[in-house]
Amino acid sequence: MNKCTEKEVAFFGKITAGITHEMKNVLAIIRESSGLMEDIISISPEAIIKHQEKIKNSMVRIKDQIERGVGLTDRLNKFAHSTDETLSKIDLQDAIEQLVTLAQRFARLKHVVLKTMTPDHEGPPVTLVTRHVQLQMALFASLECCFTVLSAGGEINIGILKLEGKNAVHVVCKGDLPGLSEFTRNISESKNWQALQEIAACLEGSAHLDEAAHGIVLSFPDEITR
Amino acid sequence: MENLKILLVDDEEEFVTTLAERLELRGLQARAALNGEDALHMIEADTPQIVILDVMMPGLGGLEVLKRIKARHSQIPVILLTGRGSTKEGIKGMQLGAFDYLMKPLDIEELIKKMQEAIKSQP
Repeated sequence: MNKCTEKEVAFFGKITAGITHEMKNVLAIIRESSGLMEDIISISPEAIIKHQEKIKNSMVRIKDQIERGVGLTDRLNKFAHSTDETLSKIDLQDAIEQLVTLAQRFARLKHVVLKTMTPDHEGPPVTLVTRHVQLQMALFASLECCFTVLSAGGEINIGILKLEGKNAVHVVCKGDLPGLSEFTRNISESKNWQALQEIAACLEGSAHLDEAAHGIVLSFPDEITR
Repeated sequence: MENLKILLVDDEEEFVTTLAERLELRGLQARAALNGEDALHMIEADTPQIVILDVMMPGLGGLEVLKRIKARHSQIPVILLTGRGSTKEGIKGMQLGAFDYLMKPLDIEELIKKMQEAIKSQP
């Protein structure tokens, strides 16, 4: 067990709390929509005709929210299965896309848009043999570093970048950003940056600032040795 | 309770508009705000008799909105909505002056009962 293993529980709690909070909103909308239909039906048969549009809208809302709920449950289920094996072969692009969907709520609360970048090169999928949960922790910590410096209306782009022949994860913070020196200081002095350094080290990788791009570069070995 | 002016504040548009429709069917005057900033403007423009406020919202969070409402309109009762499993935020809200809190998903009859209690408790 490395020191990052202990932090996995807290990470799991944070992500699960975010998704289940969203599930509660889904259920709240379904409850109100079905309640509205029930209210109308209980008034009188004439009310059903009068409020036809409200009934139709409620049915559409319920259908949409069920879809949203299915999506959330799928994400949560996939996330829960990331603990199935200690070490596993992971498609890096898949891992990034999964993390982005899990982190959408956190971005929304910060009024920040989160986007996945498509790989800048053709070829077979980039795979890593590593600890899946910790990889997600590292990706999430890098997003949190961007949250530290971004204000409302900002955007984060995350994707795979080929750097000196090696694959890396590139996280770019966009928007109304502080000057370069302030950007560097705000990130590098933050707790999130410290957390990111620790997780990257647990994965035998590294995280460094890409000042010119207002971004962060995460590098990981193709296969973890420990 | 008839014609009671209610302001509902929640960033989940479909939740808040449907809840407003249900309250209107019961003869109440419900308006919806989708964020804290809009809610504060709406309160200044047309002061409601009660505010139903979600705790977790982007931008200005529910507890900050509560503080600002209480600073300028201490007489308006505020009922908080929380989606969290724990009661921590609800209790914190009550310490800041909220009348009470309810958990999501909401039971409309419970909300109405809570609003009646809040209005009755007014000096």
